[in-house]
Amino acid sequence: MTNLPLKPTLWHTLRQNPVTLKELRSRMRGRRAFVVLTVYLLFMSLFLALIYLAYLTTSGPGGSGARDAGKIMFTAVLGMQIFLVIFIAPAFTASAISGEKERQTYDLLRTTLLSPSAFVLGKLLSALSYVVLLILASVPLQSISFLLGGLSPEELIISQILILVAAVTFALYGLYCSARMKTTLAAIIAAYGGALFVTFGTPLIAVLITLITGAAFITTGTVGWVTEATLTYLGLTLSATNLPATLVLSETILQQENTLLFYTQSIRGHSVWLFSPWPLFILLYALAAWLLYRACVRHVRRISD
Amino acid sequence: MSNIIEIEGLSKRYGDLVALNDLNLTIDQGAVVGFIGPNGAGKTTTMRILTTLLQPSSGTARVAGYDVAQNPDAVRRAIGYMPDFFGVYDDMKVWEYLDFFAACYDIPPATRHGMIDDLLGLVDLGHKKEQYVEGLSRGMKQRLCLARTLTHDPQLLILDEPASGLDPRARIEMRELLRELQNMGKTIFFSSHILSEIADVCTSIAILEAGNLVAHGNIEQIRRQLRANRTIHVRLLGEREPLVNLLQTSPGVVHLQTDDLPADSLRFDFSGDDVALSELIQTAVSHHIPLVSFREEEHDLEDVFLQLTKGVVN
Repeated sequence: MTNLPLKPTLWHTLRQNPVTLKELRSRMRGRRAFVVLTVYLLFMSLFLALIYLAYLTTSGPGGSGARDAGKIMFTAVLGMQIFLVIFIAPAFTASAISGEKERQTYDLLRTTLLSPSAFVLGKLLSALSYVVLLILASVPLQSISFLLGGLSPEELIISQILILVAAVTFALYGLYCSARMKTTLAAIIAAYGGALFVTFGTPLIAVLITLITGAAFITTGTVGWVTEATLTYLGLTLSATNLPATLVLSETILQQENTLLFYTQSIRGHSVWLFSPWPLFILLYALAAWLLYRACVRHVRRISD
Repeated sequence: MSNIIEIEGLSKRYGDLVALNDLNLTIDQGAVVGFIGPNGAGKTTTMRILTTLLQPSSGTARVAGYDVAQNPDAVRRAIGYMPDFFGVYDDMKVWEYLDFFAACYDIPPATRHGMIDDLLGLVDLGHKKEQYVEGLSRGMKQRLCLARTLTHDPQLLILDEPASGLDPRARIEMRELLRELQNMGKTIFFSSHILSEIADVCTSIAILEAGNLVAHGNIEQIRRQLRANRTIHVRLLGEREPLVNLLQTSPGVVHLQTDDLPADSLRFDFSGDDVALSELIQTAVSHHIPLVSFREEEHDLEDVFLQLTKGVVN
């Protein structure tokens, strides 16, 4: 009987990725990584302690004040996680490939047998692993909100899934910029430009659309329920492209409609099915991540003209 | 002997600029070939095409039988490439550097440890195994990069200016290393501006100017092609007149020169082969002409290079 070689599992392939191993070894070597993690957690702890002290001085333990304090603490940690995902994840990856070009190590790698997909995946995983480490390290702090009663398990789980999906997409966007640009500076500018547009540009567009359509409604007089329902769907879809908007809106729908997915709302006498934006956010960001990954691999594979 | 590099009609254009113009070149397996040319001649462009880093505009290049454009992975498996400028990673030890690139060439972890020790021994960096790469001298980094090119035991080494920026000792060490690699059976295709080194190490040369191949072959063959006549220097005891008289009537003596030379010396160009030259010496001896020295002028690679190139730059 002959022993056929076992096909390596995905986990084995990822664990053996030389780029991931090299990057993680470099990143975690020395004190820098641990100092950053410690300072980050200390800062978060101090911030949460201040919120808790403020709550104690105003209302004492128990009661609805505790729920509010729990909610504020949860929101504060979430805010920090959003910042990490939108601005730190792309910054980590924006230098990943352009840095190799600037360091003149890119050609050395491109003449090896390392496949473009293994290279991109290695860079992505090594950058993400540190961001995910920072996010996961803050989960225990976030869980204090459970003790105060201001947070449900669904809220915590969904928020962390959204944060992780966004982290992958923003990291891949940074990596794409890094593959496209020749210098790290240009890649970082492009990465931050894109991240800022998605974070602040889409709400701005939403506000502009609301103002324009509002003005149009005033001029035309009445608005049909179909138009209003369409605009509501458009607003929900647009909010599903924006992480803070998705988090806020999904939380609001959960609190007001007591649902995680669908609910009905009466629009001008007609009952309309509406949706919580977080599943669409995951779908859109997963799609964007896949497209960005493919584009990155294509760029790395390309032989210079 | 089979060809490890086969280049046919290879051209590379950047807009109006012709970096390589219809290059045809073959390199035998086991050869050590020096690639010479002024800056901008197209040497690095050729090497980047051969190492699958650059698309040619036209023509084909095959390495170890594989087309560089059609089968880049097979070509990468067959070559070890050292670019003219290369960087190293910070926060990485010498053994980690080799381990990383060995992993990139799919070398199993179990075999890497011994291989790294062997390679470090070959490039004389065994004592630096646990040191950080950034702390190595330029010469050591060059040797480490050379060790990196050998991690997957390639047939062909393509080295772009391997001795550039090195001090004399490091250059000698690099030259010795190339000889060692030649003895190991590697084919080496390398560019350099240090012509004396190329003459020392190479079995053949290829000279490129403004994207055109101006000469290729054994250094001695090229010298002969360049000079139809060999120049002979003679020194005698006493007067040179008897020898002058003899040479004036001897076949093959093309141009006799005594001006600006000491009274006991002369120089002449000779069109004959070694047999004819030997006969000439025997005739002189039989005429009792007291020869002290009779030597052929050596033309080094610099002379060859200067004769073949016109200083044209793209």
